[in-house]
Amino acid sequence: MSTVDYSRELSVLDTKPALRELDDLISKPLETKPNKKFYIALSITLSMLSLLVIGLGLTFYYGIGMWGNNNPVGWAFDIVNFVFWVGIGHAGTLISAILFLFRQKWRTGIARFAEGMTIFAVMTAGMFPLIHVGRPWLAGYLFPYPNQHSLWVNFTSPLLWDVFAVSTYLTVSLIFWYVGLIPDLATLREKTTNKIKKAVYSTFSLGWRFSNRHWQNYEMVYLILAGFATPLVLSVHTIVSFDFAVSIIPGWHTTIFPPYFVAGAVFSGFAMVQNVLIIVRKIFNYEHIITLDTLEKMNKIMLLTGSMVGYAYAMEFFIAWYSGMEAERFTFLNRALGPYAWAYWIMITCNVVSPQLFWFKKIRRTIPVMFVIAIFVNIGMWFERFVIIVTSLSRDFLPSSWAYYKPTYVDAMILIGSFGFFFTWILLFTKALPVVSMAEVKAVVDGAQPSHKEHM
Amino acid sequence: MSEKILYSFSAIFDSPDQVSHAAEKVVELGYTKFDVHSPYPLHGMDSAMKLPPSKLGYVALVFGLSGMIGTLLSLWWVSAIDYPIVIGGKPLFSFPAYIPIVFEITVLSASIATVLAMLFVFFKLPNNSHPLHGTEYMKKVSSDKYGISIQAEDPKFDEASVRKLFESLQAREIYSIYWDNEELTHKHKIFEPKFITFLFVVAIISSGTAYFTLNKLMYMIPFNWMMDQPKQSAQQKSLVFSDGFGMRQPVAGTVARGFMPYEFKGQPDVAGEKLVNPIPISKESLKLGQVKFDIYCSPCHGYHAEGDSRLRGQFPNPPSLHSEKVRSWSDGRIFAVLTEGQNIMPSYATQLSVDERWAVINYLRVLQRALNAKETDLQ
Amino acid sequence: MSSSTVEYQKKELPAKVKTVGMTLLLVGLVLVVLGYIVNPTRTAYNNIIGFTFLASIGVGSLFFVAIEYLAGAVWSTPFRRVGEFLSSLIIILPILFIPLLLNMNNVFHWTHPAPADKILVDKAPYLNVNFFIIRVVVFWLLWLVFYYFITKNSGKQDHTKDQLLTKKNIKISALFMPVFALTISFTAIDWLMSLAPHWFSTIFGVYYFSGTVLTALAAATIFIIPLSERGYLVKGIHTDSYYSLGALLFAFTNFWAYIAFSQFLLIWYANLPEETIWFLARWEGNWKFVSIGLLVVHFLIPYIGLLSQPSKMNPKRLLIIASVILFAHYYDLYWLTMPNFSKGEVAFGWIELGFPIMIAGLIILVFIYRTKKENLVPIGDPKLKRGIDFRL
Repeated sequence: MSTVDYSRELSVLDTKPALRELDDLISKPLETKPNKKFYIALSITLSMLSLLVIGLGLTFYYGIGMWGNNNPVGWAFDIVNFVFWVGIGHAGTLISAILFLFRQKWRTGIARFAEGMTIFAVMTAGMFPLIHVGRPWLAGYLFPYPNQHSLWVNFTSPLLWDVFAVSTYLTVSLIFWYVGLIPDLATLREKTTNKIKKAVYSTFSLGWRFSNRHWQNYEMVYLILAGFATPLVLSVHTIVSFDFAVSIIPGWHTTIFPPYFVAGAVFSGFAMVQNVLIIVRKIFNYEHIITLDTLEKMNKIMLLTGSMVGYAYAMEFFIAWYSGMEAERFTFLNRALGPYAWAYWIMITCNVVSPQLFWFKKIRRTIPVMFVIAIFVNIGMWFERFVIIVTSLSRDFLPSSWAYYKPTYVDAMILIGSFGFFFTWILLFTKALPVVSMAEVKAVVDGAQPSHKEHM
Repeated sequence: MSEKILYSFSAIFDSPDQVSHAAEKVVELGYTKFDVHSPYPLHGMDSAMKLPPSKLGYVALVFGLSGMIGTLLSLWWVSAIDYPIVIGGKPLFSFPAYIPIVFEITVLSASIATVLAMLFVFFKLPNNSHPLHGTEYMKKVSSDKYGISIQAEDPKFDEASVRKLFESLQAREIYSIYWDNEELTHKHKIFEPKFITFLFVVAIISSGTAYFTLNKLMYMIPFNWMMDQPKQSAQQKSLVFSDGFGMRQPVAGTVARGFMPYEFKGQPDVAGEKLVNPIPISKESLKLGQVKFDIYCSPCHGYHAEGDSRLRGQFPNPPSLHSEKVRSWSDGRIFAVLTEGQNIMPSYATQLSVDERWAVINYLRVLQRALNAKETDLQ
Repeated sequence: MSSSTVEYQKKELPAKVKTVGMTLLLVGLVLVVLGYIVNPTRTAYNNIIGFTFLASIGVGSLFFVAIEYLAGAVWSTPFRRVGEFLSSLIIILPILFIPLLLNMNNVFHWTHPAPADKILVDKAPYLNVNFFIIRVVVFWLLWLVFYYFITKNSGKQDHTKDQLLTKKNIKISALFMPVFALTISFTAIDWLMSLAPHWFSTIFGVYYFSGTVLTALAAATIFIIPLSERGYLVKGIHTDSYYSLGALLFAFTNFWAYIAFSQFLLIWYANLPEETIWFLARWEGNWKFVSIGLLVVHFLIPYIGLLSQPSKMNPKRLLIIASVILFAHYYDLYWLTMPNFSKGEVAFGWIELGFPIMIAGLIILVFIYRTKKENLVPIGDPKLKRGIDFRL
């Protein structure tokens, strides 16, 4: 890759495959029986998932006392995991919606998969607000249903805004994902010879017939959904950040939280997507669809958002000093030097230092290195939420209220289990639906579009 | 019955340029009931087919705005009208706090409405029995070829000329697509028996589940655990104390927080000597005293403590508080009367807190001085 | 249009543009000088508004040039030179800094903190006159350095058509980003946030950034559209290229509103007196109407004006909304600054008009000066043809 010719548009795909080849390649996992590697992977994720089930069972039966939460650290692993998983979901919508609005064609190879990851991540995240209440079976009370006592939920509370935001996000992501799937399901319907599969694909493709009169409206709706999904994804993590920022606790109450959380969410989301995609493209031989150029672009986005997160750290630190507030200044010194300093420095190394390696083109284009960096980013972003939530709660205004938090084995089981939950869905997804959007990828192959010889 | 009715002639083209050019030609020749099919949207095809712009944007706008206004109105009604509670010192209608929810519902309603409108209204999907379904033509255009389908219903349609047109445009293949006779003759009823049964079954299942969950399951272990808590409730028999009483007297020798016991029970004169008014005469104290005096003392003693309330003339007459006796009483002596009562006057200890009693006494002193003013008071 | 060469004719801008520019500059200058004589404090506040406004356009335009290189965007290539010309405004920033330097004590209370004011005394290591001046100068020099190299390479490419220059500029643009982020944030903190030295907000730098980006885009649009429509730019540009301008203006309008709302909601919700005092000052007396007006001018009008897809490509609509946005940014800076000068009462008179008029004149004259020296279109840029052929 010594010289790039800027006067020519870069091809999205490495090669110029025939359209039918793309169909075959992408639908191959759906048409073949799962192999041994799949079953091994599935058994690993299912074991992790069983840890989740056991952990949740213990929690429901014996209560939240099974966790390490104490006074004053009333929010710990539960909310850290919630914010972590919601953040991971954001990359998918960003790739699907925002890159679509910016007309970045390289998103086509990864959009379907990323959107799927969004949905699974939001499902995983949604568990945590439900289980961290004492009586999860009464979760219906969170929704404003009319009742005889004229009792309403507190609409001014960010926790309730979360309920609306996450539900809306899950719903709209599902709709966006499904609308994108309709043409592919129709292609599969036409391709398959299996009677049951044909019935299923016919039902879910709604009888889509590739008419251009339909494509015209379809594209408008896709644009509208992308246009809505973009502010939606920003609003979701903004509202999550409001959970903390509307309080008065030092380290939580700071106006930069909304854009900082959004940047952090995109950052961790891209790291997770990159990790999973590297594995997927290897296993399914999608290297020519999910190209090294695509991965490099994702790394650049990680560099950008990682730097934004670093900027926010610096600005928070500076303003904490600038404010002259003793509690605020103490909080930031405590993060770096107090009992949780180990967590803080893991966070800084993983979030600020490691993505800066992506300034170097060689690192951006070397797969094992970028894979490791992305793993560090994921670890770092989990620790960021841990540092924000646990250290700020553990030492706030009144020294006599300070206490150290330690997670219990149930906390650990639920955390590991949440990964099992997430990855199980992903594995099932790879076998049930096409993980690359056939229609979108075909549309960006060289020569796929009319050449506008007589245009204008 | 067995004669097949032609739906359309559908031609397959190999390249996007060919099908674009072909579409333009078809429009030029005046055909209106035709369609172009492609595995993915082709740029410029909309203008080649001279399609009017999509109207779905308006659906999004209308439903988004309705969602926004509806949510805002609901939040206003709930917070300011139906159950107004002051939360966090914020106004009842706290608009900034509503913006997140209003925004989410706007996006939700616009997105759902637009997609549903597109699928069910504009496209009239689901429809798996269109004549094009199950044909070789559909198989090809769903994968890697492009097609144009001119319907037989088009006024300009004529088998020979359409075939010639396609051949001149270098179509690779031309298919004749026929209607499915069964579909044509099938009359769709609204009250299809299968559908009604399905609705019935759904209703039974959902209401049954809801009933079971809310009325039965919530009372079963472990969901009922917080309803029956092993704690001492009021009036409940106690398993801990030997006398079986759950509600206990306070421990001897203790005093409730904020409560100072009255030491001079039955000894008003001693109280008059020992008790000192701790509240200095100030505007606040007098204001408070006036309010409380007017409420509690004036019904018997009158607004100016002259004993001229509407109870005058009854037995026993409420006394004026301007007598020499009362004026010579110390503040503590009057406090004793307020705390324990005197003759037919009951104790006001439950209606007036300690500070309020002193405030009333301060006010009474003002009244007493007012009715016994001396010339020196004017200086 | 399918020719392999790009058709560009270098035309001179009409002479009356220069006349307008000179007139505005002179009128503005007179008003400013008079203002400093009559009411130096009030004029100094307006000086701050003027400086931050000009910095927004100058540095913001450089930001957009850099982003184009980094993102590899093609639709903006035919327009990029306009952005480069606007970024030359960085060079004349000292004109607006020096008068303020002579009046700092009147506007920045931290220059003379009362010894009993522990908070200000604590901040003195950062908020002191010497460090302030050093920061202003260092930031300016940094901006100059990046401006110089990026525009030099771009100009050189007109003649050499060397693709390596693009590659170089991409690298320089990448380095510029973190420098830009920090310098623009601290410019906002120094010039605007420290006017209320007891107050603080971590998002303030981002707030100024959002306004900066929006303004630079609007200023560029105001120049691009008339120039393109009258044939001063390259032939063959389609309204599809304007679409991205409209979409970005729309997107950043939303972004500004999002940042403004975040800042407001969090301070309103927590209700801490040391923070709410800043917003309360902007709700007292007549300031209430100014605040509501800000929402209307900076968010509602551009939002509604650019919501529909066709409106984003319509040159006339874009010109109107871009002008509204430019005005709105000045309004925003006024709203940030003036409540520190006049409490409860809105101060608006001829003194407030001096700087905007002068700045308008300066922008026009600088732009004309640059057009004399360089092409209005980067004719050597390898992406130019793709930019002209750009279709949605």
